[in-house]
Amino acid sequence: MQKIEKNCALQNEKIIELAGYKKEDFSVCLGCKICASVCTVNDLSINTNPQELLSSLFLGNTIEKDNPLVRYCTNCYRCTSACPWKIRIPEVVRALREDLGIESQFEKAFKGAISIWGRVYEPYVFLMSATFMLKEGYMQYMPKWLEYISFHLPHKTKRR
Amino acid sequence: MEYGYYPGCSLTGSAHKLDVTLKKVFKKLGHTLKEIPDWNCCGAFEYGNRNELVGFSKSNLKKAEGFCNEIVAPCPACYKNLKEASKEEGKPVSILHPLDMFEYSDISSIQAKRDLKGRLFTPYYGCVLLRPEETAIKNKDIMEKVITLFGGEVDGEKVKDRCCGGNQFFINKWATERLSTLILDKTRGDLLVFCPLCHMALKTFSKNRKILYFTDMLLYLMGETNTL
Ligand code: SF4
Ligand code: SF4
Repeated sequence: MQKIEKNCALQNEKIIELAGYKKEDFSVCLGCKICASVCTVNDLSINTNPQELLSSLFLGNTIEKDNPLVRYCTNCYRCTSACPWKIRIPEVVRALREDLGIESQFEKAFKGAISIWGRVYEPYVFLMSATFMLKEGYMQYMPKWLEYISFHLPHKTKRR
Repeated sequence: MEYGYYPGCSLTGSAHKLDVTLKKVFKKLGHTLKEIPDWNCCGAFEYGNRNELVGFSKSNLKKAEGFCNEIVAPCPACYKNLKEASKEEGKPVSILHPLDMFEYSDISSIQAKRDLKGRLFTPYYGCVLLRPEETAIKNKDIMEKVITLFGGEVDGEKVKDRCCGGNQFFINKWATERLSTLILDKTRGDLLVFCPLCHMALKTFSKNRKILYFTDMLLYLMGETNTL
């Protein structure tokens, strides 16, 4: 049991580093929960608490895949902007998602295009995520999306 | 003036309208945009590894070296990523957002061919243009100013910086629908945006409201287009 806890703590430190932070950086969190009160996920009628997520990471506790922030954080930076320490919580959530291997088919296709061409090539992204889009009912929006359609060939560039 | 231009993936694809209208506006204001050769994607918000993400934009800064000293980046995500990379590198190159380049004096000196009298607009900025503060634009009410300057009415002040949920669009679209609908329901008139993702989210979930790019409005005022 102790070993598992230790592993989790190490894993959490890796996640914190992935987000560009050090564990100590979170020790300044005042627990004021301003982040929780402004979080956009509240507007989805889901209770969230970014502060709890940070303290779980800090204390070496496991964060599950179905944590509402892991699932629904919109990268709106409202929490960061309200936080006295300007902690970039959405970036921590992104690191967590990466560590947990969470990616929608669309996100996978998006990154796939970048690794092939160095740029996002939308026709490819749509093709590669077609089953997801069909299943999830995106096709109904096609009439509204006509103005977004453009045709060009992919441009290949070095990714970095 | 001549500026380096980083259109990013969306302006070369689904947001091609923003690309075209922006270039026209700049031309009218006497500026030229030179596309950075061989630029790569900025990575948007898709990478959890901060170094990897910033790396994309650092590479773009390298590609711009010796090509330009100022880079215009219209897409809010590209703008933020480039700005962070340039801060991290301590590079002298400035990353500019078009909204910060439209000075009030420039706009008020437009030889306006039309006005906005009797029209109602909700200028909507969304998240990334306004947050976090270190990368936020300076002209946080330029759209309101232009609307009123030309006789239009402004609504939606309270929700102009709320989130449309665009980032969740291709993950949990119900979340985007809920958030965009909140914005649509709390505002009146045509929506004026700059972010391609906000444009798509609001357009998708609006029943019959017009979603316009700010550049559409400027071109209309300049007499370059006949309808708005
Ligand atoms: S960035 Fe994520 S955690 Fe922060 S307020 Fe927005 S939705 Fe909540
Ligand atoms: S707003 Fe900042 S300091 Fe306050 S609880 Fe949230 S993360 Fe901690």
